[in-house]
Amino acid sequence: MTKIMKKQIIFISIVFVIILSGCSLPGLGGSSKDTIKVSSLNTSESATVAYIIKYLIEEETDYSVEIIGNMGSSIVQHQALEQGDVDMSSTRYTGTDLPGALGLDPVTDPDEALAIVQEQFAERFDQKWYDPLGFANTYAFTVKSELAEEENLTKVSDIESIAEDLRLGVDNAWLNREGDGYKAFIETYGFEFGKAYPMQIGLVYTAVASDEMDVVLAYSTDGRIEEFDLVTLEDDLHFFPPYDASPVVSNDVLERFPEIDGLIEKLVGQIDVDEMLRMNYEADVKMKEPAIVAKEFLEANNYFK
Amino acid sequence: MELIKEIWHYYEHNGSYVLSEIFRHFLMSAYGVLFAAIIAIPLGIFLARYSRLSPVVFSIVNIIQTIPALAMLAVLMLVMGLGPNTVVMALFLYSILPILRNTYTGILSVDKALTESGNGMGMTKFQLLRMVELPLALSVIIAGLRTALVIGISIATIGAFIGAGGLGDIIIRGTNAADGTAIILAGAIPTALIAVFADLFMGWIEKQLNHETKIKRRNRTA
Repeated sequence: MTKIMKKQIIFISIVFVIILSGCSLPGLGGSSKDTIKVSSLNTSESATVAYIIKYLIEEETDYSVEIIGNMGSSIVQHQALEQGDVDMSSTRYTGTDLPGALGLDPVTDPDEALAIVQEQFAERFDQKWYDPLGFANTYAFTVKSELAEEENLTKVSDIESIAEDLRLGVDNAWLNREGDGYKAFIETYGFEFGKAYPMQIGLVYTAVASDEMDVVLAYSTDGRIEEFDLVTLEDDLHFFPPYDASPVVSNDVLERFPEIDGLIEKLVGQIDVDEMLRMNYEADVKMKEPAIVAKEFLEANNYFK
Repeated sequence: MELIKEIWHYYEHNGSYVLSEIFRHFLMSAYGVLFAAIIAIPLGIFLARYSRLSPVVFSIVNIIQTIPALAMLAVLMLVMGLGPNTVVMALFLYSILPILRNTYTGILSVDKALTESGNGMGMTKFQLLRMVELPLALSVIIAGLRTALVIGISIATIGAFIGAGGLGDIIIRGTNAADGTAIILAGAIPTALIAVFADLFMGWIEKQLNHETKIKRRNRTA
Protein backbone atom coordinates (compact mmCIF):
# COMPACT_ATOMS: atom_id res chain seq x y z
CA MET A 1 0.00 0.00 0.00
CA THR A 2 2.68 2.48 0.98
CA LYS A 3 4.69 1.66 -2.11
CA ILE A 4 1.67 2.30 -4.27
CA MET A 5 1.11 5.60 -2.47
CA LYS A 6 4.69 6.66 -3.06
CA LYS A 7 4.42 5.78 -6.73
CA GLN A 8 1.17 7.69 -7.00
CA ILE A 9 2.67 10.75 -5.39
CA ILE A 10 5.67 10.64 -7.70
CA PHE A 11 3.39 10.13 -10.68
CA ILE A 12 1.14 13.02 -9.70
CA SER A 13 4.10 15.35 -9.21
CA ILE A 14 5.62 14.42 -12.57
CA VAL A 15 2.32 15.05 -14.33
CA PHE A 16 2.10 18.34 -12.48
CA VAL A 17 5.59 19.43 -13.51
CA ILE A 18 4.85 18.65 -17.15
CA ILE A 19 1.52 20.49 -17.10
CA LEU A 20 2.94 23.49 -15.29
CA SER A 21 6.02 23.85 -17.49
CA GLY A 22 3.84 23.76 -20.57
CA CYS A 23 1.09 26.15 -19.59
CA SER A 24 0.92 29.87 -19.13
CA LEU A 25 -0.45 31.30 -15.93
CA PRO A 26 -2.55 34.43 -16.36
CA GLY A 27 -0.49 37.44 -15.36
CA LEU A 28 2.85 35.70 -15.51
CA GLY A 29 3.28 35.18 -19.24
CA GLY A 30 5.09 31.87 -19.06
CA SER A 31 5.45 29.74 -22.12
CA SER A 32 2.38 30.58 -24.12
CA LYS A 33 2.49 30.42 -27.91
CA ASP A 34 2.58 34.14 -28.49
CA THR A 35 5.22 34.92 -25.88
CA ILE A 36 8.77 35.78 -26.87
CA LYS A 37 11.32 35.27 -24.12
CA VAL A 38 14.28 37.64 -24.03
CA SER A 39 17.26 37.02 -21.77
CA SER A 40 19.39 39.76 -20.26
CA LEU A 41 22.57 39.90 -18.21
CA ASN A 42 22.61 41.21 -14.65
CA THR A 43 23.84 44.60 -15.84
CA SER A 44 21.68 47.70 -16.30
CA GLU A 45 22.90 47.96 -19.87
CA SER A 46 21.69 44.53 -20.87
CA ALA A 47 18.40 44.93 -19.01
CA THR A 48 17.76 48.31 -20.65
CA VAL A 49 18.27 46.87 -24.14
CA ALA A 50 16.00 43.93 -23.24
CA TYR A 51 13.22 46.32 -22.20
CA ILE A 52 13.71 48.41 -25.35
CA ILE A 53 13.19 45.26 -27.42
CA LYS A 54 10.21 44.25 -25.26
CA TYR A 55 8.35 47.54 -25.57
CA LEU A 56 9.12 47.84 -29.26
CA ILE A 57 7.76 44.37 -30.06
CA GLU A 58 4.72 44.80 -27.82
CA GLU A 59 3.92 48.16 -29.39
CA GLU A 60 4.14 46.99 -32.99
CA THR A 61 2.81 43.42 -32.76
CA ASP A 62 0.32 41.38 -30.72
CA TYR A 63 3.01 39.23 -29.16
CA SER A 64 3.92 39.60 -25.53
CA VAL A 65 7.52 39.62 -24.41
CA GLU A 66 8.80 38.02 -21.25
CA ILE A 67 12.18 39.11 -19.87
CA ILE A 68 14.33 36.46 -18.24
CA GLY A 69 16.77 38.66 -16.37
CA ASN A 70 19.82 38.42 -14.14
CA MET A 71 21.78 35.95 -16.20
CA GLY A 72 25.23 35.55 -14.70
CA SER A 73 27.37 35.52 -17.84
CA SER A 74 27.14 35.35 -21.60
CA ILE A 75 27.85 31.63 -21.45
CA VAL A 76 24.64 31.20 -19.43
CA GLN A 77 22.84 33.33 -21.99
CA HIS A 78 24.25 31.19 -24.76
CA GLN A 79 23.13 27.96 -23.14
CA ALA A 80 19.65 29.28 -22.42
CA LEU A 81 19.29 30.23 -26.08
CA GLU A 82 20.72 26.92 -27.28
CA GLN A 83 18.33 24.90 -25.13
CA GLY A 84 15.34 26.96 -26.14
CA ASP A 85 14.71 28.30 -22.63
CA VAL A 86 14.72 31.74 -24.21
CA ASP A 87 14.14 32.94 -27.76
CA MET A 88 16.55 35.85 -27.85
CA SER A 89 19.54 37.36 -26.04
CA SER A 90 19.30 41.10 -25.60
CA THR A 91 23.04 41.86 -25.64
CA ARG A 92 25.91 39.64 -26.68
CA TYR A 93 29.42 41.03 -27.10
CA THR A 94 31.74 40.02 -29.96
CA GLY A 95 34.87 40.06 -27.78
CA THR A 96 33.22 37.86 -25.14
CA ASP A 97 31.66 35.27 -27.38
CA LEU A 98 34.63 34.77 -29.69
CA PRO A 99 36.64 33.03 -26.98
CA GLY A 100 33.51 32.10 -24.98
CA ALA A 101 30.77 30.37 -26.94
CA LEU A 102 32.91 29.82 -30.05
CA GLY A 103 36.24 28.98 -28.40
CA LEU A 104 38.22 31.00 -30.95
CA ASP A 105 41.14 33.39 -30.48
CA PRO A 106 40.32 37.04 -29.82
CA VAL A 107 40.40 39.30 -32.89
CA THR A 108 41.25 42.99 -32.53
CA ASP A 109 39.61 44.30 -35.69
CA PRO A 110 35.92 45.03 -34.95
CA ASP A 111 34.62 44.29 -38.45
CA GLU A 112 36.54 41.05 -38.70
CA ALA A 113 35.35 39.94 -35.26
CA LEU A 114 31.76 40.72 -36.20
CA ALA A 115 32.03 38.84 -39.48
CA ILE A 116 33.38 35.78 -37.70
CA VAL A 117 30.69 35.63 -35.01
CA GLN A 118 27.89 36.27 -37.50
CA GLU A 119 29.07 33.49 -39.75
CA GLN A 120 29.90 31.03 -36.98
CA PHE A 121 26.66 31.55 -35.06
CA ALA A 122 24.62 31.05 -38.20
CA GLU A 123 26.55 27.93 -39.12
CA ARG A 124 27.01 26.23 -35.75
CA PHE A 125 23.94 27.27 -33.80
CA ASP A 126 21.46 28.41 -36.46
CA GLN A 127 21.20 31.79 -34.74
CA LYS A 128 21.17 35.28 -36.17
CA TRP A 129 23.74 37.65 -34.71
CA TYR A 130 22.49 41.13 -35.60
CA ASP A 131 24.67 44.03 -36.66
CA PRO A 132 25.88 45.99 -33.60
CA LEU A 133 23.44 48.22 -31.75
CA GLY A 134 26.06 50.94 -31.92
CA PHE A 135 27.85 50.78 -28.59
CA ALA A 136 30.76 48.66 -27.40
CA ASN A 137 31.41 47.85 -23.77
CA THR A 138 35.17 47.49 -23.73
CA TYR A 139 37.97 48.62 -21.46
CA ALA A 140 38.71 52.31 -21.90
CA PHE A 141 41.40 54.58 -20.51
CA THR A 142 39.77 57.59 -18.93
CA VAL A 143 41.25 60.71 -17.30
CA LYS A 144 39.77 63.61 -15.38
CA SER A 145 38.47 66.27 -17.74
CA GLU A 146 40.76 69.00 -16.27
CA LEU A 147 43.82 66.88 -16.93
CA ALA A 148 42.63 66.11 -20.45
CA GLU A 149 42.23 69.82 -21.18
CA GLU A 150 45.52 70.84 -19.58
CA GLU A 151 47.59 68.29 -21.42
CA ASN A 152 45.39 68.19 -24.52
CA LEU A 153 44.75 64.44 -24.34
CA THR A 154 42.40 62.72 -26.79
CA LYS A 155 44.14 59.45 -27.64
CA VAL A 156 45.91 56.88 -25.49
CA SER A 157 49.22 57.60 -27.26
CA ASP A 158 48.96 61.22 -26.12
CA ILE A 159 49.69 60.06 -22.59
CA GLU A 160 53.13 58.75 -23.45
CA SER A 161 55.02 61.97 -22.72
CA ILE A 162 53.56 62.35 -19.23
CA ALA A 163 52.94 58.70 -18.40
CA GLU A 164 55.81 58.51 -15.90
CA ASP A 165 54.10 60.94 -13.54
CA LEU A 166 50.67 59.33 -13.75
CA ARG A 167 49.00 56.90 -11.40
CA LEU A 168 46.76 54.27 -13.06
CA GLY A 169 43.85 52.54 -11.34
CA VAL A 170 42.65 49.24 -12.82
CA ASP A 171 40.37 46.39 -11.82
CA ASN A 172 41.91 43.34 -10.17
CA ALA A 173 41.91 41.12 -13.24
CA TRP A 174 43.56 43.31 -15.82
CA LEU A 175 47.10 43.73 -14.49
CA ASN A 176 48.16 40.10 -14.83
CA ARG A 177 45.91 39.14 -17.70
CA GLU A 178 47.32 37.42 -20.76
CA GLY A 179 46.44 38.71 -24.22
CA ASP A 180 44.99 42.12 -23.44
CA GLY A 181 46.52 42.78 -20.03
CA TYR A 182 49.12 45.31 -18.84
CA LYS A 183 52.12 43.43 -20.20
CA ALA A 184 50.67 43.32 -23.69
CA PHE A 185 49.67 46.95 -23.32
CA ILE A 186 53.28 47.97 -22.67
CA GLU A 187 54.39 46.02 -25.72
CA THR A 188 51.79 47.59 -27.98
CA TYR A 189 51.94 51.21 -26.80
CA GLY A 190 55.57 51.19 -25.72
CA PHE A 191 55.22 53.05 -22.41
CA GLU A 192 54.50 52.34 -18.76
CA PHE A 193 52.62 54.31 -16.15
CA GLY A 194 54.46 55.65 -13.10
CA LYS A 195 52.40 53.45 -10.82
CA ALA A 196 49.58 50.99 -11.42
CA TYR A 197 47.15 50.08 -8.65
CA PRO A 198 44.93 47.02 -8.99
CA MET A 199 41.73 47.73 -7.03
CA GLN A 200 38.05 46.97 -6.87
CA ILE A 201 36.73 49.01 -9.80
CA GLY A 202 34.23 50.94 -7.64
CA LEU A 203 37.05 52.17 -5.41
CA VAL A 204 39.07 53.36 -8.39
CA TYR A 205 36.42 55.98 -9.18
CA THR A 206 36.39 57.23 -5.62
CA ALA A 207 40.17 57.42 -5.69
CA VAL A 208 40.08 59.58 -8.82
CA ALA A 209 37.52 61.86 -7.23
CA SER A 210 39.84 62.47 -4.29
CA ASP A 211 42.87 63.00 -6.58
CA GLU A 212 44.63 59.83 -5.47
CA MET A 213 44.58 58.57 -9.04
CA ASP A 214 44.99 60.13 -12.51
CA VAL A 215 43.98 57.50 -15.04
CA VAL A 216 41.19 54.95 -14.72
CA LEU A 217 40.85 51.86 -16.83
CA ALA A 218 37.04 51.91 -16.92
CA TYR A 219 34.37 49.98 -18.78
CA SER A 220 33.46 52.21 -21.67
CA THR A 221 29.70 52.34 -21.00
CA ASP A 222 29.95 52.66 -17.23
CA GLY A 223 27.62 55.38 -15.96
CA ARG A 224 30.22 56.45 -13.44
CA ILE A 225 32.43 57.87 -16.22
CA GLU A 226 29.89 60.64 -16.48
CA GLU A 227 29.29 60.91 -12.74
CA PHE A 228 32.98 61.45 -11.98
CA ASP A 229 33.50 63.78 -14.96
CA LEU A 230 36.02 61.59 -16.78
CA VAL A 231 37.05 61.77 -20.43
CA THR A 232 37.55 58.61 -22.49
CA LEU A 233 40.74 58.43 -24.55
CA GLU A 234 40.60 56.79 -27.95
CA ASP A 235 42.34 53.41 -28.16
CA ASP A 236 44.18 54.54 -31.34
CA LEU A 237 46.34 51.43 -31.72
CA HIS A 238 43.29 49.11 -31.35
CA PHE A 239 44.81 47.30 -28.42
CA PHE A 240 41.60 46.10 -26.76
CA PRO A 241 39.48 43.56 -28.60
CA PRO A 242 36.12 45.01 -29.64
CA TYR A 243 33.08 44.27 -27.48
CA ASP A 244 30.36 45.43 -29.85
CA ALA A 245 26.93 44.59 -28.49
CA SER A 246 24.28 42.91 -30.64
CA PRO A 247 21.05 41.04 -30.03
CA VAL A 248 21.10 37.34 -30.97
CA VAL A 249 17.97 35.47 -32.05
CA SER A 250 17.62 31.86 -33.05
CA ASN A 251 16.46 31.42 -36.63
CA ASP A 252 13.47 29.21 -35.90
CA VAL A 253 12.13 31.96 -33.61
CA LEU A 254 12.44 34.40 -36.51
CA GLU A 255 10.43 31.96 -38.60
CA ARG A 256 7.74 31.67 -35.94
CA PHE A 257 7.55 35.44 -35.41
CA PRO A 258 8.53 36.93 -38.78
CA GLU A 259 7.59 40.51 -37.79
CA ILE A 260 10.26 40.86 -35.13
CA ASP A 261 13.20 40.71 -37.55
CA GLY A 262 12.37 44.11 -39.00
CA LEU A 263 11.78 45.57 -35.55
CA ILE A 264 15.19 44.53 -34.26
CA GLU A 265 16.81 45.83 -37.43
CA LYS A 266 15.31 49.20 -36.54
CA LEU A 267 17.53 49.28 -33.46
CA VAL A 268 20.77 48.42 -35.24
CA GLY A 269 23.23 51.30 -34.97
CA GLN A 270 20.73 53.41 -33.02
CA ILE A 271 22.27 53.28 -29.55
CA ASP A 272 25.73 54.85 -29.64
CA VAL A 273 28.22 54.85 -26.76
CA ASP A 274 27.13 58.27 -25.49
CA GLU A 275 23.49 57.24 -25.46
CA MET A 276 24.29 54.01 -23.61
CA LEU A 277 26.51 55.91 -21.17
CA ARG A 278 23.67 58.29 -20.47
CA MET A 279 21.21 55.43 -19.93
CA ASN A 280 23.60 53.55 -17.65
CA TYR A 281 24.10 56.75 -15.72
CA GLU A 282 20.34 57.16 -15.31
CA ALA A 283 20.03 53.57 -14.11
CA ASP A 284 23.09 53.16 -11.89
CA VAL A 285 23.53 56.64 -10.50
CA LYS A 286 20.08 58.22 -10.78
CA MET A 287 18.40 54.99 -9.60
CA LYS A 288 15.94 54.70 -12.48
CA GLU A 289 14.87 51.18 -13.34
CA PRO A 290 16.05 49.90 -16.76
CA ALA A 291 12.38 49.43 -17.67
CA ILE A 292 11.72 53.14 -17.18
CA VAL A 293 14.95 54.19 -18.93
CA ALA A 294 14.03 52.01 -21.91
CA LYS A 295 10.57 53.51 -22.21
CA GLU A 296 12.01 57.03 -22.10
CA PHE A 297 14.54 56.12 -24.79
CA LEU A 298 11.82 54.84 -27.11
CA GLU A 299 9.61 57.86 -26.48
CA ALA A 300 12.43 60.34 -26.97
CA ASN A 301 13.45 58.73 -30.25
CA ASN A 302 9.91 58.50 -31.64
CA TYR A 303 9.70 54.75 -31.89
CA PHE A 304 6.09 54.96 -30.71
CA LYS A 305 4.04 56.68 -33.34
CA MET B 1 17.62 60.74 6.54
CA GLU B 2 19.56 60.88 3.27
CA LEU B 3 18.63 57.25 2.71
CA ILE B 4 14.91 57.85 3.17
CA LYS B 5 15.14 60.66 0.62
CA GLU B 6 16.89 58.34 -1.82
CA ILE B 7 14.27 55.63 -1.39
CA TRP B 8 11.56 58.20 -1.96
CA HIS B 9 13.38 59.41 -5.06
CA TYR B 10 13.48 55.82 -6.30
CA TYR B 11 9.74 55.30 -5.85
CA GLU B 12 9.00 58.62 -7.51
CA HIS B 13 10.80 57.60 -10.69
CA ASN B 14 9.98 53.92 -10.81
CA GLY B 15 6.49 53.79 -9.31
CA SER B 16 4.81 51.99 -12.21
CA TYR B 17 7.60 49.45 -12.43
CA VAL B 18 7.54 48.71 -8.69
CA LEU B 19 3.76 48.26 -8.76
CA SER B 20 3.96 45.78 -11.61
CA GLU B 21 6.69 43.84 -9.81
CA ILE B 22 4.67 43.78 -6.58
CA PHE B 23 1.73 42.37 -8.50
CA ARG B 24 3.91 39.80 -10.20
CA HIS B 25 5.57 38.82 -6.94
CA PHE B 26 2.26 38.35 -5.18
CA LEU B 27 0.81 36.44 -8.12
CA MET B 28 3.68 33.92 -8.14
CA SER B 29 3.23 33.25 -4.42
CA ALA B 30 -0.55 33.04 -4.71
CA TYR B 31 -0.42 30.57 -7.61
CA GLY B 32 1.95 28.32 -5.67
CA VAL B 33 -0.36 28.30 -2.64
CA LEU B 34 -3.45 27.85 -4.78
CA PHE B 35 -2.12 24.79 -6.58
CA ALA B 36 -0.84 23.35 -3.32
CA ALA B 37 -4.28 23.84 -1.79
CA ILE B 38 -5.91 21.99 -4.68
CA ILE B 39 -3.72 18.98 -3.99
CA ALA B 40 -3.07 19.17 -0.26
CA ILE B 41 -6.57 19.78 1.12
CA PRO B 42 -8.14 16.67 -0.45
CA LEU B 43 -5.00 14.71 0.44
CA GLY B 44 -5.24 15.91 4.05
CA ILE B 45 -8.87 14.82 4.28
CA PHE B 46 -7.95 11.45 2.79
CA LEU B 47 -5.12 11.00 5.29
CA ALA B 48 -7.43 11.86 8.19
CA ARG B 49 -9.64 8.96 7.05
CA TYR B 50 -6.74 6.54 6.65
CA SER B 51 -4.37 7.65 9.41
CA ARG B 52 -2.21 4.58 8.85
CA LEU B 53 -0.78 6.21 5.72
CA SER B 54 -0.03 9.54 7.30
CA PRO B 55 3.52 8.82 8.61
CA VAL B 56 4.71 7.89 5.10
CA VAL B 57 3.17 10.88 3.38
CA PHE B 58 4.28 13.30 6.05
CA SER B 59 7.85 12.07 5.97
CA ILE B 60 7.98 12.63 2.19
CA VAL B 61 6.49 16.11 2.54
CA ASN B 62 8.83 16.90 5.41
CA ILE B 63 11.85 16.01 3.28
CA ILE B 64 10.66 18.42 0.59
CA GLN B 65 10.47 21.15 3.21
CA THR B 66 14.09 20.65 4.29
CA ILE B 67 15.54 21.27 0.80
CA PRO B 68 17.14 24.74 0.76
CA ALA B 69 15.21 27.11 -1.49
CA LEU B 70 18.17 27.90 -3.73
CA ALA B 71 18.91 24.21 -4.28
CA MET B 72 15.25 23.53 -5.01
CA LEU B 73 15.17 26.27 -7.65
CA ALA B 74 18.41 25.04 -9.20
CA VAL B 75 17.14 21.47 -9.49
CA LEU B 76 13.72 22.50 -10.78
CA MET B 77 15.42 24.81 -13.27
CA LEU B 78 17.18 21.83 -14.83
CA VAL B 79 13.81 20.17 -15.43
CA MET B 80 11.53 23.11 -16.14
CA GLY B 81 13.89 25.77 -17.48
CA LEU B 82 14.02 29.45 -16.56
CA GLY B 83 11.15 31.72 -15.71
CA PRO B 84 8.22 32.23 -13.36
CA ASN B 85 6.65 28.77 -13.76
CA THR B 86 9.66 27.18 -12.09
CA VAL B 87 9.24 29.49 -9.12
CA VAL B 88 5.53 28.67 -8.90
CA MET B 89 6.47 24.98 -8.85
CA ALA B 90 8.95 25.50 -6.00
CA LEU B 91 6.38 27.48 -4.01
CA PHE B 92 3.84 24.74 -4.67
CA LEU B 93 6.18 22.17 -3.14
CA TYR B 94 6.94 24.33 -0.10
CA SER B 95 3.25 25.06 0.47
CA ILE B 96 2.19 21.42 0.64
CA LEU B 97 3.39 20.73 4.18
CA PRO B 98 1.66 23.57 6.06
CA ILE B 99 -1.61 23.08 4.19
CA LEU B 100 -1.55 19.30 4.45
CA ARG B 101 -0.69 19.25 8.13
CA ASN B 102 -3.33 21.82 9.05
CA THR B 103 -6.04 20.06 7.05
CA TYR B 104 -5.13 16.74 8.62
CA THR B 105 -5.07 18.12 12.17
CA GLY B 106 -8.17 20.22 11.57
CA ILE B 107 -10.26 17.25 10.46
CA LEU B 108 -8.95 14.95 13.17
CA SER B 109 -9.56 17.47 15.94
CA VAL B 110 -13.31 17.65 15.24
CA ASP B 111 -15.11 16.41 18.32
CA LYS B 112 -15.92 12.68 17.98
CA ALA B 113 -19.26 13.25 19.66
CA LEU B 114 -20.29 15.53 16.78
CA THR B 115 -19.32 13.14 14.01
CA GLU B 116 -21.04 10.31 15.80
CA SER B 117 -24.25 12.24 16.25
CA GLY B 118 -24.04 13.08 12.56
CA ASN B 119 -23.70 9.39 11.86
CA GLY B 120 -26.67 8.70 14.13
CA MET B 121 -28.77 11.15 12.12
CA GLY B 122 -28.08 9.04 9.06
CA MET B 123 -25.65 11.38 7.28
CA THR B 124 -23.60 9.90 4.48
CA LYS B 125 -19.80 10.21 4.67
CA PHE B 126 -19.86 13.08 2.21
CA GLN B 127 -22.60 14.93 4.08
CA LEU B 128 -20.68 14.47 7.30
CA LEU B 129 -17.58 16.00 5.66
CA ARG B 130 -19.44 18.89 4.09
CA MET B 131 -21.79 19.78 6.94
CA VAL B 132 -19.81 18.87 10.05
CA GLU B 133 -16.10 18.31 9.60
CA LEU B 134 -15.13 20.93 6.99
CA PRO B 135 -16.99 23.85 8.62
CA LEU B 136 -15.37 23.05 11.96
CA ALA B 137 -11.89 22.56 10.48
CA LEU B 138 -12.04 25.49 8.07
CA SER B 139 -10.29 28.07 10.24
CA VAL B 140 -7.41 25.67 10.89
CA ILE B 141 -7.11 24.95 7.16
CA ILE B 142 -7.06 28.68 6.43
CA ALA B 143 -4.30 29.04 9.02
CA GLY B 144 -2.29 26.57 6.94
CA LEU B 145 -2.86 28.61 3.79
CA ARG B 146 -1.78 31.68 5.73
CA THR B 147 1.55 30.13 6.75
CA ALA B 148 2.12 28.86 3.21
CA LEU B 149 1.45 32.25 1.67
CA VAL B 150 3.82 34.11 3.98
CA ILE B 151 6.60 31.57 3.38
CA GLY B 152 5.86 31.76 -0.34
CA ILE B 153 6.18 35.53 -0.51
CA SER B 154 9.62 35.43 1.07
CA ILE B 155 10.86 32.53 -1.07
CA ALA B 156 9.59 34.14 -4.29
CA THR B 157 12.27 36.80 -3.80
CA ILE B 158 15.08 34.49 -4.89
CA GLY B 159 13.10 33.61 -8.01
CA ALA B 160 14.87 36.61 -9.54
CA PHE B 161 18.00 34.44 -9.81
CA ILE B 162 16.32 32.28 -12.43
CA GLY B 163 14.87 35.21 -14.30
CA ALA B 164 11.36 35.13 -12.88
CA GLY B 165 11.26 38.83 -12.02
CA GLY B 166 9.37 40.02 -8.98
CA LEU B 167 10.67 42.22 -6.20
CA GLY B 168 13.85 40.15 -5.95
CA ASP B 169 14.86 41.73 -9.25
CA ILE B 170 15.01 45.13 -7.62
CA ILE B 171 17.07 43.81 -4.72
CA ILE B 172 19.60 42.11 -7.01
CA ARG B 173 19.92 45.27 -9.06
CA GLY B 174 20.71 47.13 -5.86
CA THR B 175 23.50 44.72 -5.04
CA ASN B 176 25.02 45.32 -8.48
CA ALA B 177 24.75 49.11 -8.48
CA ALA B 178 27.57 51.30 -7.24
CA ASP B 179 25.74 52.59 -4.17
CA GLY B 180 22.68 50.43 -4.04
CA THR B 181 21.55 50.52 -0.41
CA ALA B 182 18.50 52.58 -1.29
CA ILE B 183 17.57 50.28 -4.17
CA ILE B 184 17.96 47.17 -2.01
CA LEU B 185 15.66 48.66 0.61
CA ALA B 186 13.24 49.86 -2.07
CA GLY B 187 12.83 46.21 -3.06
CA ALA B 188 12.93 44.70 0.41
CA ILE B 189 10.37 46.99 2.07
CA PRO B 190 7.45 46.14 -0.25
CA THR B 191 8.33 42.44 0.02
CA ALA B 192 8.00 42.60 3.79
CA LEU B 193 4.85 44.71 3.49
CA ILE B 194 3.06 42.23 1.20
CA ALA B 195 3.95 39.43 3.60
CA VAL B 196 2.59 41.40 6.56
CA PHE B 197 -0.60 42.38 4.75
CA ALA B 198 -1.16 38.87 3.46
CA ASP B 199 -0.73 37.60 7.00
CA LEU B 200 -3.17 40.14 8.46
CA PHE B 201 -5.75 39.50 5.75
CA MET B 202 -5.59 35.72 6.06
CA GLY B 203 -5.69 36.07 9.83
CA TRP B 204 -8.87 38.11 9.51
CA ILE B 205 -10.49 35.48 7.27
CA GLU B 206 -9.38 32.77 9.67
CA LYS B 207 -11.06 34.59 12.52
CA GLN B 208 -14.29 35.07 10.56
CA LEU B 209 -14.47 31.36 9.78
CA ASN B 210 -13.72 30.19 13.29
CA HIS B 211 -16.88 28.52 14.56
CA GLU B 212 -16.56 30.05 18.01
CA THR B 213 -16.59 33.53 16.46
CA LYS B 214 -19.58 32.49 14.41
CA ILE B 215 -21.47 31.30 17.47
CA LYS B 216 -20.65 34.49 19.36
CA ARG B 217 -21.89 36.59 16.47
CA ARG B 218 -25.10 34.60 16.25
CA ASN B 219 -25.69 35.01 19.98
CA ARG B 220 -25.13 38.74 19.74
CA THR B 221 -27.70 39.20 16.98
CA ALA B 222 -30.17 36.91 18.68
